[in-house]
Amino acid sequence: MIRLEKVSYSYPDGTPALENINLAIKKGEFIAIIGKNGSGKSTLALHLNGLLKPQKGKVIIRGMDTRDISKLPGIRKLVGIVFQNPETQFVGRTVEEDLAFGPENLCLPPVEIRKCVDMALAETGFEKYRYRSPKTLSGGQGQFVALAGILAMRPECLVFDEVTSMLDPDSGTDVLERIRKLQRKGKTVVYITHNLEELHAADRIIVMDKGRIVLEGDPESVFADPSLQSLGLTLPSLIELAARLKTCGVAIPWEKTSSPHSFAEEICQLFLKT
Amino acid sequence: MPIILENVSFSYSKKTPLETSALRNINLRIEKGEFVGILGEKGAGKSTLLKLFNGLLNPETGTVRVDGLNTSSREAKRRIGMVFQQAADQLFCRTVYDEIAFGPLNFGYSRKEAEERVLEALEAVYLDQTMLHRNPFSLSGGEMQRVALASALALRPDYLVLDEPITGLDPVGKKEILETLKKVKDEGTAVIAVTHNLKGFFPLLEKIVLIREGKIAFQGTKEDYLKTGCVPLPPITSLMRELKERGLPVNPAVFTVEDALQEILRVRSVIEKESTSNTGK
Ligand SMILES: Nc1ncnc2c1ncn2[C@@H]1O[C@H](COP(=O)(O)OP(=O)(O)OP(=O)(O)O)[C@@H](O)[C@H]1O
Ligand SMILES: Nc1ncnc2c1ncn2[C@@H]1O[C@H](COP(=O)(O)OP(=O)(O)OP(=O)(O)O)[C@@H](O)[C@H]1O
Ligand SMILES: [Mg+2]
Ligand SMILES: [Mg+2]
Repeated sequence: MIRLEKVSYSYPDGTPALENINLAIKKGEFIAIIGKNGSGKSTLALHLNGLLKPQKGKVIIRGMDTRDISKLPGIRKLVGIVFQNPETQFVGRTVEEDLAFGPENLCLPPVEIRKCVDMALAETGFEKYRYRSPKTLSGGQGQFVALAGILAMRPECLVFDEVTSMLDPDSGTDVLERIRKLQRKGKTVVYITHNLEELHAADRIIVMDKGRIVLEGDPESVFADPSLQSLGLTLPSLIELAARLKTCGVAIPWEKTSSPHSFAEEICQLFLKT
Repeated sequence: MPIILENVSFSYSKKTPLETSALRNINLRIEKGEFVGILGEKGAGKSTLLKLFNGLLNPETGTVRVDGLNTSSREAKRRIGMVFQQAADQLFCRTVYDEIAFGPLNFGYSRKEAEERVLEALEAVYLDQTMLHRNPFSLSGGEMQRVALASALALRPDYLVLDEPITGLDPVGKKEILETLKKVKDEGTAVIAVTHNLKGFFPLLEKIVLIREGKIAFQGTKEDYLKTGCVPLPPITSLMRELKERGLPVNPAVFTVEDALQEILRVRSVIEKESTSNTGK
């Protein structure tokens, strides 16, 4: 679906951000990108729909090269990005206008645009904010609406850059559930986060450092890698607890470390089996 | 002396069709040197509450006093160092240096004193000195968040008021910044943080304020919060609470992996002893 070949990028002021990135993202994959502050995650995201273009190498989205300007509308239709800071992407005077902006850009007919907007408002329970200025929403509400907008557009590939950072744990789980549902229906998901607790069920995790991909694999193997700490990463609490219990003779299978609930169930089975 | 809110209410867009009541009847007292966590769902009113502390918003009814001072006074503003939820919104200088030095210079400290404070604050947020000449708007999300925090620290405030201060930081960065906050607190500054990051903050918090739909649903010590059965909780604490509910004799007031490990191993040995003494009979 998406292929990056030997991609390098430096910002106009000379700050290097990506170094020789090679990455192939398959259709229907849930791929997570993690790494230190400034390691290049957002810069990579911006390359996935042509907002930034590589100085060296190339980015190919389903056969289309992002450096080919005539292909950009097609690429934008395929790949939707939600950014870290929702405010930077609010363009409408009301939440309604704002939600309509994406589908309008895709040149959908007005009926379809209406449908997208209504669906987004209904799914988030945000009907009551329809006529509010998006700038007056709370941080978490803003993130929620920005997400609703992109989800309503149903692009083939969705790129999320720290979109749950301002959400309370319940809303965060809710958003992640929605994203997973889309992925199960065949959408491709690129998910950038600092909240590693969210990644238990990712298909693949990519770890970046200083503009390079330095580690890659399924969650179980990445979380078992001894170099994590030096890459700015720490284990999710339950996975760390399981690892430490293991050295004391209590083995919790990987699947059970996904939630406090399943973890507790397993411990009780082990301890109370008599 | 504390920050005191008495009977505070606040609405946005008063007397318009879009009027939104954000806070109702808030009574709150925050002492010097406390570490307070403000929890609550999206739209609960947390950021609005923080903006009342430094006079950015004024209450519709009731009063807010900082050490007895009116929040609009210059002295009250000097005592409160604030970091907003969208760190990018509060940056406005051309270089990171100017950004962090702005507060100290604005409050009349000498260039030399300001420079000392800039360097100290930069170190406290784990950025290196090559950052100082960078344009703050060309930084990554996490880097901006660190600069915003450094600007607040450089004021050496009596109250450090933070809105989601670590969300954009990488996991090791979160740990480091939490260390910094702990140090600042130990030196006598009150730290008041709105946060959804219970894993990181819970071990440090002393007091918890839970806001639900503009009202205070709980305020008190962390220990009392646990007893009420309130959520949210950090994953480790949820685990321990569930173990207890399932009949294991664990103490659920556990906030770190290390303590959870010890507690689970302790319970294991208790159970093993019981079962051997039972089979012995
Ligand atoms: N507009 C810009 N101009 C110049 N340099 C930039 C710009 N945006 C980012 N950078 C730099 O490029 C590098 C990569 O930044 P990027 O935003 O991709 O990091 P990130 O991994 O997303 O970090 P974070 O976790 O903090 O969001 C960093 O060194 C950053 O300072
Ligand atoms: N400028 C504004 N105009 C109108 N309503 C507003 C404005 N700012 C906030 N609100 C509303 O006030 C309520 C409280 O918002 P606030 O920003 O305090 O929430 P919060 O608890 O900080 O939420 P979050 O965790 O999502 O940041 C919300 O319903 C929000 O939509
Ligand atoms: Mg980023
Ligand atoms: Mg807020």
